[in-house]
Amino acid sequence: MKTCLYNFSNYSEGEAWKERNEKSGRPTSPHVTTYAFPVTAISSITNRATGIALTGGITGISLLALVGADVTSFMQCIGNMSVIGPLAKFSVSFPLIYHYAASMRHFAWDKYPEMLENEKVEQSSYALLGGSAALSAVFAVISI
Amino acid sequence: MYSVSRLSSSSGLKASSMMLKTSASKTVGYMSTSEKSKPIGNIKYFKIYRWDPEKKQKPYVATYPVNLDECGPMVLDALIKIKNEQDPTLTFRRSCREGICGSCAMNIDGGNNLACLCYISKGAADIKVNPLPHMYILKDLVPDMTNFYAQYKSIKPWLQLKDPSSHDLEHGEHLQSKDDRKKLDGMYECILCACCTTSCPSYWWAGEKYLGPAVLMQAYRWIEDSRDELTKERLEDLDDAFKLYRCHTIMNCTKTCPKGLNPGKAIAHIKKRIAQTH
Repeated sequence: MKTCLYNFSNYSEGEAWKERNEKSGRPTSPHVTTYAFPVTAISSITNRATGIALTGGITGISLLALVGADVTSFMQCIGNMSVIGPLAKFSVSFPLIYHYAASMRHFAWDKYPEMLENEKVEQSSYALLGGSAALSAVFAVISI
Repeated sequence: MYSVSRLSSSSGLKASSMMLKTSASKTVGYMSTSEKSKPIGNIKYFKIYRWDPEKKQKPYVATYPVNLDECGPMVLDALIKIKNEQDPTLTFRRSCREGICGSCAMNIDGGNNLACLCYISKGAADIKVNPLPHMYILKDLVPDMTNFYAQYKSIKPWLQLKDPSSHDLEHGEHLQSKDDRKKLDGMYECILCACCTTSCPSYWWAGEKYLGPAVLMQAYRWIEDSRDELTKERLEDLDDAFKLYRCHTIMNCTKTCPKGLNPGKAIAHIKKRIAQTH
């Protein structure tokens, strides 16, 4: 039984088809420039974007700490500034809150596939985006 | 020009001989400069993707005016009217004109749909008609579907038995209860139009290896069929890095399906089944 996720089946037919088409000079029909993305798709790409932001942010902070910078006081200093402070704090709180909530939704979908209906996923996407933005805004202005 | 009316209303004279007729008067029938001058009729503009393989030119968008008062209600009616009356070189696939063959699948106003089932939207906005997204184009609105069909064949969409002679004339038919047959509802109706598969961003980026929602839902249709005996093999066949697991539950598929089916849920069921076998 194949359990390894890095099992590569025989994809030669699909890849050969792609090669032939690339060589033929045929154009590829437009996609991101023409598709009207539903809110669920927006919530999905936001999950990916916040994931990348979190990875980059934590890596950056860790590297800075590795070379000896006092990261906590540096971040607190930025957070205390008048206009940039709340914006910077939002750019930290939104990825954390949104990505966590969106991942919880993924776990729910894994366990209960019946929740995957058009109306339900649309409502959950609006709730996720709006709720995370609101909660992040609260965290961006308060000082703990 | 407008001072004329103020004069006549304040003096109260029926001074038709004193009234100046201006060219901006509504009775004359000229449009004001802010309106486009259009021919009479309920005109809607169709902006359609065009590409000719025999011309060394890039794809472009051609605009066709269609009088909706002289056209059927569906986008396919408009396409056929344009081909008949304006541009015979406009190329698209079509057959049944009733939403059952899947030939006329295309991207209309940003969403994948069957042109024969898609009503022409009311209002003044132009209609944008493009081929199915991220497909190699043979001509105009006609994509290369061979990979899609090859992927469908690869999931073996037929009944597989461990012993083929177990259900021959001697041993009898494959019996199936009503409850077991009900499990196939919502999946057997798929017409393989590829609207869902070409709406999936994962399929855009990894289409040669990821099977896509249409094919995966048919794979589940055969996994769920109580008469099929190679369920374990079917599940194992999907258990690799690309065939099934490029799905990230974006759910563009279920949103766009013109037949109202739910491939996203079927794929989630497959993932759950495979997780249970591990």
